[in-house]
Amino acid sequence: MTTSSVALDDVQGFIVRTYAMPALRVFALKVEHPALAGRLLGALVSGDASLPQLTTAAPWETKPDVCVNIGFTHAGLAALGLASDGLASFPEEFVQGPVARAERVGDVGESAPEHWKKPFADANLHALLFVFAQTEAALEAASGPLRQHFAPGQAFSELAVHDGLRLPGNVGHFDYRDGFSQPAIEGGPPPPLPDVLPTAPAGEFLFGYQSQYDSFSYPMPQPETFGRNGSFAAFRMLEQDCAAFERFLTDASAQTGMDRELVAAKLCGRWRNGVPLSLSPTTPNPDLPAEKYNAFDYAPTAQLPDAFDDRRGERCPIGAHIRRMNPRHSTVAGNSGLKRRIVRRGLPYGPPFDPANPDDGIERGLLGLFIGVSLKDQFEFLMSDWANKGTFAPGLRGTRDPVLGDNSASDAKFVLPVAGAPTVEITGLSRFVTCRGAAYCFLPSVAALQYLSAVAQGQPAGVGV
Amino acid sequence: MSAPTPGSPSPQGVQTVASVQNPLTLVMTVKSAADSQALQALLHKLQSAPPELNPVWVALTKLNTVHFARFVFLDANMKLAVITTYDGSFEDYINEFIDEIGDVFNALLAHMADAPPLPVQKNRQQFLDYVRANDLRAIEPFFSAYPKATVLDIKAAIGD
Repeated sequence: MTTSSVALDDVQGFIVRTYAMPALRVFALKVEHPALAGRLLGALVSGDASLPQLTTAAPWETKPDVCVNIGFTHAGLAALGLASDGLASFPEEFVQGPVARAERVGDVGESAPEHWKKPFADANLHALLFVFAQTEAALEAASGPLRQHFAPGQAFSELAVHDGLRLPGNVGHFDYRDGFSQPAIEGGPPPPLPDVLPTAPAGEFLFGYQSQYDSFSYPMPQPETFGRNGSFAAFRMLEQDCAAFERFLTDASAQTGMDRELVAAKLCGRWRNGVPLSLSPTTPNPDLPAEKYNAFDYAPTAQLPDAFDDRRGERCPIGAHIRRMNPRHSTVAGNSGLKRRIVRRGLPYGPPFDPANPDDGIERGLLGLFIGVSLKDQFEFLMSDWANKGTFAPGLRGTRDPVLGDNSASDAKFVLPVAGAPTVEITGLSRFVTCRGAAYCFLPSVAALQYLSAVAQGQPAGVGV
Repeated sequence: MSAPTPGSPSPQGVQTVASVQNPLTLVMTVKSAADSQALQALLHKLQSAPPELNPVWVALTKLNTVHFARFVFLDANMKLAVITTYDGSFEDYINEFIDEIGDVFNALLAHMADAPPLPVQKNRQQFLDYVRANDLRAIEPFFSAYPKATVLDIKAAIGD
């Protein structure tokens, strides 16, 4: 199949489309009655007017009030009755799940699964249902009919529910504006901001297409009707310690004599208003037009021949968060800077941080989804090699991502190259982001949901597909 | 061939220094005498080209994870060894490795007994399994004069 023929109406919308909706509700579900669950899954894609319908990637003329998407854990697919040969056809990391893979991605210490909220480390977490909404009223209106199916004796039981809500100024809890960088995916809608990097092949984000690797499509979960147009998401509930982060900025500013906001920019790679350091190394330059926020690179390229050659990281440190997570054309091990891209979705949870009341004891963080066709080659690689190691790029001296990494060790540091002077090492970091729960989800296509619906209702596989 | 656990005791119980580098000693068995002759001709052609036209050289330069690499014939030219020292986990970078140097291995493996299905670009897991099965592990500890330095660290330090 060629990439120009991505069947957008078969693909779950949030894989390729940025909804940009301010509210999100995540239902953590357990299959209680497979046949009823199968009926509900079928109803989500049947045009049933009594239920919010699954949102596909098909173009829309007017943005809907709500978008609905769903993902299943490996245990969930088993509970719905997927045959054993189908279950065995999934990649190892999905079969094992995030508890078994915790050490690889840095979910250790306070982030270890034994500290996770229920039900994320439990085998009875079967599905996550995501409801994105334009308003909280629309969110409640959509939740009602869905929740009827989570009542006692019905299809699913509701193990937990988590709500996310956009913060004033569209910032994350560390007060950075976020969400600028998303890959443009071949055959999909354009991203919200123009992407100067090469368009990602469809097979980097969907089963059934040529991937980012030469002459290679990721093997589809079987049967192909079930695998094609599917994808994976790592769902993460990430608590952010705003008080510790702000105290660290003050301390690092004192250590270096640098302005506190410049320290914040060096850690992230963007000023808190979102302006990239690569384009504006000394001031937050609020006059930079929004379409430029993603139009930068760390080395001159055919697309950006005038880009500053920042091979030493004097503008944007090589260890800065956004440069680690998306090295663009930086020199990195394996020449892989453009082959590990990821789609990010999600919203903050918890109330905004109040600097006047820093130790309020209230949990806040991010409900995040990290989407790609391979959890191992994309999400897990980013966390293991790029966030929590210092060997993939030059001069990192064993450091970790200053925002996202496990910097709980007492000797954790951040290296800050300075033009014409020795590199500065900033100490006193801690673990600012703690994982409070994770789930690996398969994101089936519409056809796969119909297949799963039939299987769960005990019908011969493929009926109604 | 997963990366060894940093700092894990060697079989002798000696504490090794955590190294970012790992050894690969891939020994491939040649199918026949005729294949051996063809391989020798192929390697002579590859290795006598100027660096910028040598696909091995070009690929390893782009990968930036391999410190040293050499081909060595063993057993009266009936085995071919690829001996390298590389950074990080071979498995984590297997796709990048195949993308850059897969065609060289397609040409070499065509002459090997028990070769994985070719091309390696379309049979990535089988190629990884083949490399794992034919890597003669080192007797620990693996010595490095600079165990914490990667190829990229060294190149940056010397201004390359």
